[in-house]
Amino acid sequence: MEIRLSSVLLAAALLSGCSWFHRGDKAPAQAVPTEPQGEPSIIEPQVQRREVKTPKIKAKDFELGAYFGAISIQDFGTNPIYGVRAAYHVTEDVFLEGFLARSRAGTTSLEDVFPDITVVSNSGRHFTYYDLDVGYNVLPGEVFLGRGRALNSALYVTAGMGDVKFADVDQFAINFGAGARILITDWLATHFDVRDHVFETDLTGRTKNVHNIEATLGFTTFF
Amino acid sequence: MLRLLPLLLLLQAFIVVTANAREPGLELVVTAPYLEMHTGPGRGYPVFYVVGRGETVTVLFSRTDWYKVRAPRGQEGWARREELALTRLASGEPAPIPPYPDFSTHRWEIGAGYGVFNRQNLVTGYADYGITDSLDAEFVLQQALGTIDNRYVGTIGLRHTFMPEWKWFSPTVGLGGGYQYIDDKVPPAPLERTDQLAYVSLGARGFITRRFMWRFDWRSYVVFTKQNSNEEPEEWKFALAVFF
Repeated sequence: MEIRLSSVLLAAALLSGCSWFHRGDKAPAQAVPTEPQGEPSIIEPQVQRREVKTPKIKAKDFELGAYFGAISIQDFGTNPIYGVRAAYHVTEDVFLEGFLARSRAGTTSLEDVFPDITVVSNSGRHFTYYDLDVGYNVLPGEVFLGRGRALNSALYVTAGMGDVKFADVDQFAINFGAGARILITDWLATHFDVRDHVFETDLTGRTKNVHNIEATLGFTTFF
Repeated sequence: MLRLLPLLLLLQAFIVVTANAREPGLELVVTAPYLEMHTGPGRGYPVFYVVGRGETVTVLFSRTDWYKVRAPRGQEGWARREELALTRLASGEPAPIPPYPDFSTHRWEIGAGYGVFNRQNLVTGYADYGITDSLDAEFVLQQALGTIDNRYVGTIGLRHTFMPEWKWFSPTVGLGGGYQYIDDKVPPAPLERTDQLAYVSLGARGFITRRFMWRFDWRSYVVFTKQNSNEEPEEWKFALAVFF
């Protein structure tokens, strides 16, 4: 009898201890059934207060990805281009973005007609740029796939500056363009961009501003 | 096949447990009359669900000023920072939504801008750490694109802000050193490609809005060459920055 009673008490004390352990909003004494003999509880629950760790909220403001497409290098034909991009979203409207990409220029019409003429050396045909841009989400919205799915999207404009290395020469270049971002999931986005890289060059005889328009498709992940 | 089933279930349970363990998610109790959930992280996205007072939402992650939350019945949507900041932890403490960075006491800033270095176009990028409210350590990488050469300049310096409490315009002065690398465009090749340099700078900074600020800097460099005279280029630049 004695043993049974004490085991019941032990169980009750432990249970009450556990409940206190978890929430702390119930007084442990309330859960203990009153002693028939009026004796004090034999076991004092010795429970250390658990240190509550609040989970941190992860910010997913960075975007990193790659893109490919075509660039029309003025006077040198349209050529494939590959690049990487990284962005930081500052507010819901504004983001900062960096690009790094490479293409290889084709031949000018002059070189096509007169194969002996070389405007740019073979090694100089690499067209490499980096850009630092500011972007603005002009038209944020949603795109719908059928009845049941809506994907967040944004049409944005970007502008910035950087360096274009072409014909073995680094040139200061400005760029501007527009693009669309569709978020396939919360962490994966696809981009379609059209951007123009403008710089001054005298490659084809006289100094002029050349426009190099690219259209690219890319994928990025948010983290 | 039947023997595989428990194994699969175990695996499933393990995946669920580890997935949950990886993202425990912060649970917050709504104390305002309601918490609005938008379909996207932006002011224009429509409210599609409302969580009532006393109900618990799980915060999944944040993007800019918006937080992706899960309602008790599983709906997921975006809550605005100001609204989520009104919620509380189960213990009754205020929600641990990090405070919006304050301009006068911010620690980090990153920025980029345009300038002119010795009559050459300059692209600049920098990171800045506030040691105190008025003293900053500044790390700068920049490229000057000229007609004759192309220079890369990297510097580390200290900058003092005279009136850090002046929000819109506050003068600064700086001092530092670094290296430059010259990549020639047209012959002749430069006599030295890599040189040490030092600078003094005068500038100003100011708050724009939210987390944006501007900086203007004028720098006078001394490039320590091995020739009889040092080179003394000047530079000015304007940069836009984001602070944390």
